[in-house]
Amino acid sequence: MAFLIRTIDFTAAGREIVRDRVVDQPRLTVGRAAENDIHLPDLAVEQRHVGIDLAADGTLGVRALGTLGFGLDGRVVTEGTIDPRTGGEIALGAARLAVTREADGNIAITIRQVIADEGKMDALRGFALASKLPSKRAMSWIFAAAIVLLLLALPIASHLLCTPAKPDPTGKTEGAVLMDSAWSSGELSLKHHSLENNCESCHVAAFESVQDETCLSCHKDIADHAQKPRLAKGMPPLSQGDALQWSIAEGFGKEGPLGCVACHSEHEGPVRTQAASEAFCGDCHKDLKTRLADTDLANAHDFGKDHPQFRPLYFASFGAAKPVRASAGTMPLERSGLVFPHDVHMNPRGGAARMAVSLAQYGAPLECKDCHAPTADKVTFKPVEMEQACEACHSLVSGRTAGGGFGKLRHGSVKNLAEDLARITSGPRPALAPSRQRPGQIGSASPYRADFGRPVRAYIGISNALSTGGVCTECHLPTRGPTGQADLMPVNFPERFLTGGYFSHAAHTKQKCSDCHAAETSKLASDLLMPDLKSCRTCHLGASAVKTAKIVPSDCAMCHAYHVPSGQWQGLKLIQPAAPHYKPPPPEKSKVAAKIARARP
Amino acid sequence: MATKAGAKAGGTGRFSQDERRRDSDHVSFLKHKGFRWLWIALALCAASIAGYLMIDQDPRPNGGTWYGYTLGTIGFGLILWLSLLGVRKRRINPGVWSLKAWTSAHVYLGLALIVVGTLHTGFQIGWNVHTLAYVLMLLVIATGIYGVIVYATLPQSLSANRKEMTRAQMLDALTALDRQLESAAQPLARAESDLVIAALGQDVFYGSALARLTGSYPGCKTARALAGMGTGSEAEARVASLLEKRREQLAQIRGALRIRALLEIWLFIHIPLTIALIAALTAHVISVFYYW
Repeated sequence: MAFLIRTIDFTAAGREIVRDRVVDQPRLTVGRAAENDIHLPDLAVEQRHVGIDLAADGTLGVRALGTLGFGLDGRVVTEGTIDPRTGGEIALGAARLAVTREADGNIAITIRQVIADEGKMDALRGFALASKLPSKRAMSWIFAAAIVLLLLALPIASHLLCTPAKPDPTGKTEGAVLMDSAWSSGELSLKHHSLENNCESCHVAAFESVQDETCLSCHKDIADHAQKPRLAKGMPPLSQGDALQWSIAEGFGKEGPLGCVACHSEHEGPVRTQAASEAFCGDCHKDLKTRLADTDLANAHDFGKDHPQFRPLYFASFGAAKPVRASAGTMPLERSGLVFPHDVHMNPRGGAARMAVSLAQYGAPLECKDCHAPTADKVTFKPVEMEQACEACHSLVSGRTAGGGFGKLRHGSVKNLAEDLARITSGPRPALAPSRQRPGQIGSASPYRADFGRPVRAYIGISNALSTGGVCTECHLPTRGPTGQADLMPVNFPERFLTGGYFSHAAHTKQKCSDCHAAETSKLASDLLMPDLKSCRTCHLGASAVKTAKIVPSDCAMCHAYHVPSGQWQGLKLIQPAAPHYKPPPPEKSKVAAKIARARP
Repeated sequence: MATKAGAKAGGTGRFSQDERRRDSDHVSFLKHKGFRWLWIALALCAASIAGYLMIDQDPRPNGGTWYGYTLGTIGFGLILWLSLLGVRKRRINPGVWSLKAWTSAHVYLGLALIVVGTLHTGFQIGWNVHTLAYVLMLLVIATGIYGVIVYATLPQSLSANRKEMTRAQMLDALTALDRQLESAAQPLARAESDLVIAALGQDVFYGSALARLTGSYPGCKTARALAGMGTGSEAEARVASLLEKRREQLAQIRGALRIRALLEIWLFIHIPLTIALIAALTAHVISVFYYW
């Protein structure tokens, strides 16, 4: 087997020159030295660089003769094998020796010079992933520009250029600012949810915190907890950290710790605003007196431990114009103008009970609810009305009417009473029997009849009714009017007794009335049957108390509200000193005779 | 083996060995200075969590309380500083603030941002620019974690795949095979020649980024030529064996490409999202005070 050595060179004009020679020996040497079988005039090649040996099995063993390796199929090695059937390529300097097998079985070694690859380093860049992906810089610019334009520039530009939408609690007005919904840090509270799409209804000016003025433009009826200067004075001094925080915040236009948004933070999700905690109230009220010396309020911070005694509203004297608040811890005498022993009415074996049993309307001994009717919201009670509550027993029936029914004296006004009594004494009296007329009744139905007698009987009737032992004084206190005429004490009750707090009777239906109100043992109407602090504390202790079957941990907000009127107070009228619901009519200056004449039918 | 110096430094234990290695400055950026930045980052996390739990934030924790602003300011500062690694690594200069220290701090403080940022949100998320910034931050951190993991694991397989060849040699080997294929294919018929032309004409870096990551090249012309090449004649058999070699060489190159792509892909998310994050943060901060 022989080696066919084919050298391919190029002329200066680029023409290819091919020279073949055959070397018939089993071993070839390659190098720069002239004595080599293959002579490569290249400084990068060693004098004797590579030896090629033909092995018995037809393969070629290629071996470096010095310490410098050679390229075999692209890899730098010092020793390798080439199977001429598949071929191989030896690289030495700029020369490439391609080894192939000719059809005649000879091994051809084709030598050609390669031009140094200028683009090799460029080709290596293909290994980097950057060759297949958009550049990081371009992606960065695109993302950043999209975010800044869409989420920052667009809302700001439209806010500066548009006319802001008006606040609309119905939620029908959408905001004019574009894309600002992307700025919302969370859903609005339930009450403000209709403003969700109208940011500028609250956020009026740029870089300005929501102002109280904006809140009050809708919440016109909200009342302050107290006047701002007093609130500020009553507040405990801020800690250094808080003071620093608020001074920074106020520098940016926040309205300080007494502004609306200091407590009412929004964008906390679709929730109801939580009532303030006991600690929040206690911050000021724990030692309010030390800062606000002239306040009427006693210190309080925990219902179970530190809360002033209740001071119910009551009328301290008969016919007083205004109710007063009881002093803490006293047993006030209520001057309502009524005579009413609760014990007599509530005794299950007493006369009142027997009477009630005999009446179809009751059928059982009296209970509280027979007289005290709850209001529609079951929170408190309606005023007791004589016609509904008392009259079944304390009848004002005055006789039979001509139609066969009963006539009765009207309740509620002495003037009406006088008229009704006058009618009884002067009007026609029913016949004793169909065939028997009463004497003196002849012509009494005639329009021409006149009663020329003195109107004494009417006077006696009124005077009897109004004086001690009379029908009115069963429940009322007799008195004299400004001109000395017989009259009754006006009945005075405050509409609600505990006005600083809020009490729901509906929430206490598991209790009996007498658990809190000592009505069963009360002998006099002057007993003020309002429960005291101690009776509440059998169940209600402060917010920090441990909840058990009996103990209810109760924070301030269970009974008190911050804004008055607001929250649970809405629907209840703010308690004004109530006008007494019965007032004696002003004495008339006209003559008694004129009165009687008017009383006539 | 205890040398005198070793005995002085504390014996032949793990610590003294580590100490010697540290002296030689061949310690990983993760272990830099005895995990200094890990401890600093853990301290930052612990302080943030303790503050979050102990400070009464009224009415509930969110970015708008004073503690929220504090965490937000820390987070904002950290993000800006962390992104400056890209500037720092381009400034090759000596000094106390070695690039290794920066990288170590970058990794650990970046991880601490998960805690600081999450506490800053007060766990309130929604479809808004604020949550966009938070999600971008998490994505940047997640890609960073991926980057640290692949930097720690993949270079070994990269060098195993190379089999002591450089990238240039791999390409040279392919060129050598191509020259042999060119001459070996001379006796082939038209159809087979076209297959060889197509195989030789296809770019060695053919394939999308996805192909690189998965190592799947369904359109590879070399594989197609190999499948279509008959084995009837001696020339065909020779070309087929050369094509087989070419395919193996391509497989090695593509293996390198795959590992390299896995090593580099995270930066193509990490960097653009970092810039997007800075944009979103700017929008977040300005919008919060614009609609205060």
